Amino acid sequence: MAAEPWLNPVTRLRVIILVTILVIWEAVAASGILLREVVPSIVVIGRSLAELLFHPDLKWPVDIGIGGLRFAQQLWVPAFYWHLYVTVMEVATALVIGGSAGLAVGLALGANPFLSKAFERYLYYLGPTPKIVFFPVMIMWFGVGPESKIAMGTLSCFFPIVLSVAAGMRQIEGVLIRVGRSFRLNTWQMVTKIYLPAMREPIVNGVRLGMGVAMIGTLLAETKLSNKGVGFMIIDAYNTFDMPRMYAVLLTLFVVAIGANALVGRASRG
Amino acid sequence: MPAAEPILVVENIVKRFETQDGVLLAVDDVSFNVMPGEFVSVIGPSGCGKSTLFNVMGGLLDGYDGRVTVGGDTVRGPHASVGMIFQEESTFPWRTVVDNVAFPLEIAGMPKAERIERARHFVDLVGLDGFERRYPAELSGGMRQRVSMARTLASEPKILLMDEPFAALDEQTRLLLGDKVLQIQQDLKQTTLLITHNLTEAVQLSDRILVMTYRPGKIKRIVEIKLPRPRTSEIVSSDDFGRYVAQIWADLREEASKGLKDDESRVARDGGRRA
Repeated sequence: MAAEPWLNPVTRLRVIILVTILVIWEAVAASGILLREVVPSIVVIGRSLAELLFHPDLKWPVDIGIGGLRFAQQLWVPAFYWHLYVTVMEVATALVIGGSAGLAVGLALGANPFLSKAFERYLYYLGPTPKIVFFPVMIMWFGVGPESKIAMGTLSCFFPIVLSVAAGMRQIEGVLIRVGRSFRLNTWQMVTKIYLPAMREPIVNGVRLGMGVAMIGTLLAETKLSNKGVGFMIIDAYNTFDMPRMYAVLLTLFVVAIGANALVGRASRG
Repeated sequence: MPAAEPILVVENIVKRFETQDGVLLAVDDVSFNVMPGEFVSVIGPSGCGKSTLFNVMGGLLDGYDGRVTVGGDTVRGPHASVGMIFQEESTFPWRTVVDNVAFPLEIAGMPKAERIERARHFVDLVGLDGFERRYPAELSGGMRQRVSMARTLASEPKILLMDEPFAALDEQTRLLLGDKVLQIQQDLKQTTLLITHNLTEAVQLSDRILVMTYRPGKIKRIVEIKLPRPRTSEIVSSDDFGRYVAQIWADLREEASKGLKDDESRVARDGGRRA
């Protein structure tokens, strides 16, 4: 056998594709076929990215009290982190609300054939409907602030979670339920000791799908009407025609999304 | 010897099911007792209502006539003194062997260290020492069935109900597991009721065998197995064993052929659409 290859074939392919894309991008940027502002050079995007991540341009009020000591100050930070914080909190809150509602309703639908017959079909129809059409309603109900973004995220992630929980519950082996009954488990023990562990996989899949659509719902809402959040930053950069900055925000957003998915994926393996 | 009280009393059980072809009488007036320490098997062809009987005794099924009492209590739902072992694969795949076995102790609120130690004892009892930290997916079917058995034994039931626990296993594994059951039976003096369709298994393990008729399920005959104890699977080669098997088969054969005819006529009627 020859010596070990420098990288394994999969990694090599990924690197090759990435480099190819960057080279084509740079070639298009240099050629001027498209407007230079629309396809800026990687160097320009890189500079913008550095500014985005490292140039402090926002006062972030910090107020920490420990015992009698108070530490109240305004820190200069890059505005990006504050916007990212807003979006992450919106998505996380949406996932908590939509996730627990989805879990509870999913368990009820899975456990009760009557409820399932009455409602589940409509959830299936409503599930793939673009939730953004509800955004005007959410603005009227919850205002233009983060609340309406959270509502959009909640609405988005509720459906995949409720449907996978309900389906997952029906897939549980009947004999495991009978084992639980034979050991005289109460309802709470049945849920925590049998249903939930047996449904771990569909639940994690539901949360994963839910997180994806919660991000979509929240960011989409932010680009429509807001004054903070990463979605706002993107649309703001677009409106001021600062394309390098827009690409820089998009890049960081990809990294955050990939990281969040990897985190949920790791949780699923335990 | 003082006359002991039966621990399980089954009185005049009648169970009907609504089916699309009308009402099906599954169990028809079945009565019997099980004494403490006794090993009783219920044998019958498929469709004789023996699994129905299992679920009735275990308190998993209601809507029947008659009465089941365990230690004098009428069974209404699963009873604390009854342990059940099911035919299907029933280990919890998300728990290790020892955590599976500790399950009933956990439900009973036993502290962790104590229940793990108790569970280890039952893991040893079914011969799975060394596999405590494995997950069911890493074990063979026979080993998984032993995990289920240990889990039920860990709850220390006064009476153990088993519904064809070895049905999915091959003949050799089945005989060897039978040995295990005989040994456990001897160590724990465990009162056991086994539902089976396997003649060898029933004769190998039992003190008494109830032979059931094909639909509706009634008790056709009760056979006392007077083979010496302690027993092992070697007993299957003895003459007495052969005589018992032949005697029970004579009763069972008629019932099994009724079942076979019934299946055939159903297939013929439905044009083979339904098995």
